[in-house]
Amino acid sequence: MKRKFNRIFLVLSGIFIMILAVSSLVMVLFFPELLSFGTSDNSEATRELFAMDTYITMTAYGRDVETAVSEAADKLTELEQLWSVTEPESEIYAVNHSNGQAVSVSSETEDLLSFALQMAEETKGALEPTIYPVLTAWGFTTEENRVPSDSEITELLKNVGYERVHMEDGSVWLENGIMLDLGAVGKGYAGDLAAQILRDNGITSALLDLGGNIQTIGKKPDGSFWKLGLQDPFSEGTLGILEISNKAVVTSGAYERYFIGEDGKRYGHIIDPVTGYPAENGLASVTVIADEGRLCDALSTSLFVMGADRAMEYWQLHQNFDMILITEDGEIYLTDGIADMFTLDSYHSNMKVNVIEDE
Amino acid sequence: MSKQKILMIICVVVFLLGIAGSILVLLTPHGTQVNIVQDGIVLYTIDLTTAQDQTLEIEYKGRTNIVQIENGRICMLEAECPDQTCVHMEWLDSSAMPIVCLPNHLSIEYAEAEDDVDAVIR
Amino acid sequence: MNVRKLTQLAMLTGVALIIFVIELQIPNPFPIPGVKLGLANIITVYAIYRYRAKEVMMIVFCRIFLAAMFSGNMMALVYSFAGSILCLTGMLGLRKIIDMSHIWISSIFGAILHNIGQISIAVLVMGKGILVYFPFLLVSGCFAGAFTGICAQLFIKRKTDDIRYD
Repeated sequence: MKRKFNRIFLVLSGIFIMILAVSSLVMVLFFPELLSFGTSDNSEATRELFAMDTYITMTAYGRDVETAVSEAADKLTELEQLWSVTEPESEIYAVNHSNGQAVSVSSETEDLLSFALQMAEETKGALEPTIYPVLTAWGFTTEENRVPSDSEITELLKNVGYERVHMEDGSVWLENGIMLDLGAVGKGYAGDLAAQILRDNGITSALLDLGGNIQTIGKKPDGSFWKLGLQDPFSEGTLGILEISNKAVVTSGAYERYFIGEDGKRYGHIIDPVTGYPAENGLASVTVIADEGRLCDALSTSLFVMGADRAMEYWQLHQNFDMILITEDGEIYLTDGIADMFTLDSYHSNMKVNVIEDE
Repeated sequence: MSKQKILMIICVVVFLLGIAGSILVLLTPHGTQVNIVQDGIVLYTIDLTTAQDQTLEIEYKGRTNIVQIENGRICMLEAECPDQTCVHMEWLDSSAMPIVCLPNHLSIEYAEAEDDVDAVIR
Repeated sequence: MNVRKLTQLAMLTGVALIIFVIELQIPNPFPIPGVKLGLANIITVYAIYRYRAKEVMMIVFCRIFLAAMFSGNMMALVYSFAGSILCLTGMLGLRKIIDMSHIWISSIFGAILHNIGQISIAVLVMGKGILVYFPFLLVSGCFAGAFTGICAQLFIKRKTDDIRYD
C-alpha cells in the first residue's frame, strides 16, 4: 500500500514539473511579444547616399521625417563640395591652389577650420590638418601605396605645420607649400551639421551612419538605447556592443586602411605628424564617444597617434569625452563613464578589460 | 521522503529541464550569418544567402579542416581529426547545432541575430 | 593490495577497454560531440559499487588513458578526465545514499556530471557558443546514464556474493 502511494506521488510530481517546465517555456517564448507594444504614430525614413568619400545611411523617426532627411542629405552633398581636396570647385581646393593668396570661405568652412586648428593646438600637433602631402607620398590618397624614402619624408615634413595656416575675417591663406586637408574632422563636422538639421526639423530620434562614424539623436523610438556593434580590429566581426543615446561615436584604427609593403611590414593609414611614418604604438583602435561628432573624429585620430599612455593622460586632463582603447595585445581600456554601457560579446568575453578612472 | 526519492525527483527535473532547453534552443530563430570560429576567435563571417560556392581551408597545428559552402548551405567537408564527428554532422541547419570539431578547436555556427545591432562603429 | 585484487582490477580495465573499442566501431546515430552511450561506463558503475574509491579511480583513469591511445584521439583525454573526475566524485558520494536496487539513479547523476565536466572544458577551449549543446547533453546523459546503470545493476544482481566495499 505504502509503495503504491509513493509511486503515485512520484508520477504526480513528475506531471507537475512537466507542466511547470512547459508553461515557463511558453512564457519565455512569448514574453518578447508581450513587451513590444506598438510604438506611437512615428513614421520612419531612411536615406542612403554617397558623400564625403563614404557611404552614408540616415534613419530618422518623427513627423515630417521625409523633408527633414532630404534636407540633411542635401546638406551633406553640399558640404562635400565645399571640403573635397580633389574637387577643383571646392573651397579647400581653392585655398590649396591660391599660391598664398587669401581666399574667402563660407562660414561652415571657417567653423570647421578653426575647430581643426584649435584641436591641433590642444593635441600638440597629434592632429595635423596639413599632413596631406605625406599621406599622398604613402599613397593613401591615391591607392597606389608605396614606402617613401627617409629623405623624401624629411623633405615633405618641412611643409607640414598647422601654425602656418592663417585665418582672418572669413578668409584663409596658407604659407608656401602647405596643403590643407580637413578629412580627419570633416566627416564628424558634417555629421554634426546634418544632425542639427534633423533636430531643427523636430526629429527626436535618428541614427546617422557616416561610413562607420555614428551620430545618434535621442533614443530609439521605443525608448531603448541605440545598440552599436564595435568593430573587432583583428577580424571581420564585432567585438561587443555599445549602448548609447544622443551621442556621437567614431573609431580610428590602422585596420581600416593599410597596405603591406614589399618588406612584408604592415603600414596603416594614420600618419604620425612628428615622424611622417604610420603611427605604431601598440594601439589597434581608438573609439571616442562624445556629444559632438567633430570632437570624436578629431580625437579618435589624434589619440591613436598619441598611443595609449598619452591618450589616457589627455583624457585625465579634459574629460569631455569617453573612449575605448584596444591594444595590439588584445587588451581593452575604457573610461568609467561608458564602462557600464559596453558589453563584450560572447566570443570575446576572455579579453582583458581595464577601466580608466578619474585620478 | 527518503533521500533516494529526492534524488530521483532531481533526475526527473534535470531531464525535463534538458528537454525544455533543447526545445528552446531548437526554436531559436537564426539569421543567415554564419561564423567560423577557432579557439573563440571569429575567423570568417559568411552570409549564406550571398556567399559563392567555395571551399575554405583552415589549419590548426598542422591539421587541416575543409569547409564547404554550396547553394547557401555550409558543412565540414573534410577534417584531419580522429573522430570525424564534424564531418558526419553534415549541413549546418540549426543555431542549436553548431558544427564542432573539438580536436581542431573549430566550430561553424550561426551568428547571434545581427538584427539587434543598429549600426557598426568602424 | 594483493595479487588477487590487482588481477581483478586489471581484468575490469581490460573488459572496459574492449567494450570501448567495440563501441567505437558502432556508428553513432547522433553525431553531436559528447553524445554517446558510453558502454564502458558499465564497468565504472559496477566498480563503484564493488571496490574502494582508490581502486575505482585506478580502473577509470587507466581506462581513459589507454582508450585515448587506442582511438588515437589524445585531445579527448582532457575532456574525459574533467568529466570523469566530476563523475567519480559525485557517484562515490552517492553510493552511500543510493542502494543496490537503484544503481541506475546514481548512474544518471554520474552521466550528467560527466557531461558537465566535459562542457566546462569545451567552454574554456571553444568559448561560450558551445553552451547551446548543454541541454542536449543533459537529455542524452539521462538516457545513457540510465542504460549503463541498468546494465550494471543486472550485472551485479547476477553476482550472488555479498557486497562489501573491500
